[in-house]
Amino acid sequence: MKELNVPALARVEGDGGITVTLDGKKVKSVTLDVHEGPRLIEQLVRGMKPEDDVNVVPRICAICTLSHKFAAIRGMEKALDITPPEKADLTRELMMLGENIESNSLHTMLLALPDFLGYPSAVAMLNDYTDDVKRALKLKKFGNHIMEVTSGRIVHGENPIIGGFGKYPGKKALEEIKAKSHEMIPDAARVVELFASLEIPKYADVDSDKVFMSVSAPKKKFHLYGDEILVSNGKDFPADDYKKFTNERVVPHSFAKRSKYNDKTFMVGANARLINMGKRLDGHAADLFKEHFDKRWLRNPLYNNLAQAIEIVWAMESLPDACDKVASMDDPPTEQPMRKTGSGTGAVEAPRGTLYHHYELKDGLVDVADIITPTAQNLDDIEMHMKLAAERMLAEGKKDDEVRLGLEMIARAYDPCISCATHLVTLKRF
Amino acid sequence: MTKSSPKIGVYGFTGCAGDQLMILNCEDQIVDLFGATEIRSFVMAKSDNHEGELDVALVEGSISTEEQLKHLKEIRERSKILIAIGTCACWGGPQAMKLGDGKYEDRYKKVYGNAKITISKAFEAQPLDAFVKVDMKIPGCPIDKQEFLKSVSKLVAGKHPYLLKSPVCLECKWKENRCILLDGKFCAGPLTKGGCGAVCPSHNLPCVGCWGPTDDLNVSAEYNLLKEKGYDPEEIITKIRKFGGSGVVELVKDLEKKGAKK
Repeated sequence: MKELNVPALARVEGDGGITVTLDGKKVKSVTLDVHEGPRLIEQLVRGMKPEDDVNVVPRICAICTLSHKFAAIRGMEKALDITPPEKADLTRELMMLGENIESNSLHTMLLALPDFLGYPSAVAMLNDYTDDVKRALKLKKFGNHIMEVTSGRIVHGENPIIGGFGKYPGKKALEEIKAKSHEMIPDAARVVELFASLEIPKYADVDSDKVFMSVSAPKKKFHLYGDEILVSNGKDFPADDYKKFTNERVVPHSFAKRSKYNDKTFMVGANARLINMGKRLDGHAADLFKEHFDKRWLRNPLYNNLAQAIEIVWAMESLPDACDKVASMDDPPTEQPMRKTGSGTGAVEAPRGTLYHHYELKDGLVDVADIITPTAQNLDDIEMHMKLAAERMLAEGKKDDEVRLGLEMIARAYDPCISCATHLVTLKRF
Repeated sequence: MTKSSPKIGVYGFTGCAGDQLMILNCEDQIVDLFGATEIRSFVMAKSDNHEGELDVALVEGSISTEEQLKHLKEIRERSKILIAIGTCACWGGPQAMKLGDGKYEDRYKKVYGNAKITISKAFEAQPLDAFVKVDMKIPGCPIDKQEFLKSVSKLVAGKHPYLLKSPVCLECKWKENRCILLDGKFCAGPLTKGGCGAVCPSHNLPCVGCWGPTDDLNVSAEYNLLKEKGYDPEEIITKIRKFGGSGVVELVKDLEKKGAKK
């Protein structure tokens, strides 16, 4: 038997690899191996006060830090029967826009793009694509800045708390973000233009009944949180029912757990959000979505990069209104818990897909914590795609290095966050 | 790139990758950083990685599998200087908050059941210096951009970096914040390494201790103060251990010997 390895999957967050095992010419299996060590966070937070939990859980992942913070706060507020003040809701929306811009520009331009253009890294692209690399850094920095203004720090800001914020962002900082967002819309649009101009390789044909899941944002808006989950087959269900499809199970090659929907793999992420909520977009983002969305998105995960690029435009265009609304309101007092025992589920769209934090509280302490990350939901789908792709590439007589690159590109397209999933290519030929 | 550019490797183990992300977050300096040094390995940022002799290894994360332990020892062998970056590498991080309580196996089983995971054997997370010699610790959750860049610049120039030695309280005083402990609220400032700019107290919030223990910390003074203010002993200890990892294990044991939790 022969094995083809990608021992350490580069340009992703966390420690993973890919193993393809071949029996003669047949692909026996393709696995996304999660080497990242287990942390058992859900067990460690048991017995903690809600406020301590929301300090700890964002540390699951640095790139999705505010998504974890927000999902935890949402879960806790439901469990404690807290209705957050309107200004808190709006400031949270603003911080999510910042994280979306930061993470999407990092992933599309600095981590994924080098594959398409044949470079080992974004830094290596610098001489040939100076403007685009600098633009990516500028966008990313702006996203980070919004995260800092709203959450207190670029990474792991503690300012968002249960019931509100420690300190609401000041008017001057909001004015500056608003002014800058106008300036940067062309930069965001350039990312879309760039990805739309690339030839997107198609490595596999997947079932046409494949489903995509995302939240349905409140008030029929396009946004990054919600209490209802949309499935691309037209079904929807309350976020509280998340366990019905994220029936997690353990596999031998990974410290990350796995999920399926109706016994089939599914995908979450920017493309799922656009497939499910793209019609709700307005402005230039709506035009770009109409121009670039087509059926190929449903069969090829690599279009997730283009979807992320369109989201950067959406987020950029959403900033002025978001800043105005926050600036126009007085700072409300922090809302206090109405009960000590209860349960709640917070669903949030992290840049790489739907993230659930479910808590059960007893006498003011965490009794049960259940955290389902987007990458954990995507892992089965990534493996399914990679297997189909490996079969096709080997049938076409592709060299091992080409197979490796193809599989890495598929894995990276999902923007996997392996630290999050814990709890990626080795090709084995038999 | 000149021959004398220091060879640097950036590695990540169990944690959130936030310290590596902070290096990528140096948007204005990253191009110069890649220019002034020879980044031989940085898996999170690039594909062309070469594993060989290094002048400086920057290592993030705690160690929680046999595979990682083997890799860490191998990095140590080929690096002149090994620097732990971030709270997880320095103290074990939140995953080490119950270090040594003897209940790790129970927690592991509750998450993974009896399912067999063959990829590597896991154990309770510990900081790097539990296994190898660590030449320097740059604390932070995540590390601070400026402190990191200053340290690397010094190293590139062949000098020894200087890190802030005081607790969060010093920076908090500089910012003229009102002391949160005066209001009877738990604040980990006196116990926690400074360098973050007292960011949480500056947002009217208590320090959560995420940079890990400061030098010569006085745990019992904080404990007694909060107990006087009416805090539940168990809650005080949970809060001290939240990010304290290996740095507070013995101190908390001493407290418990003296009758804490009762």
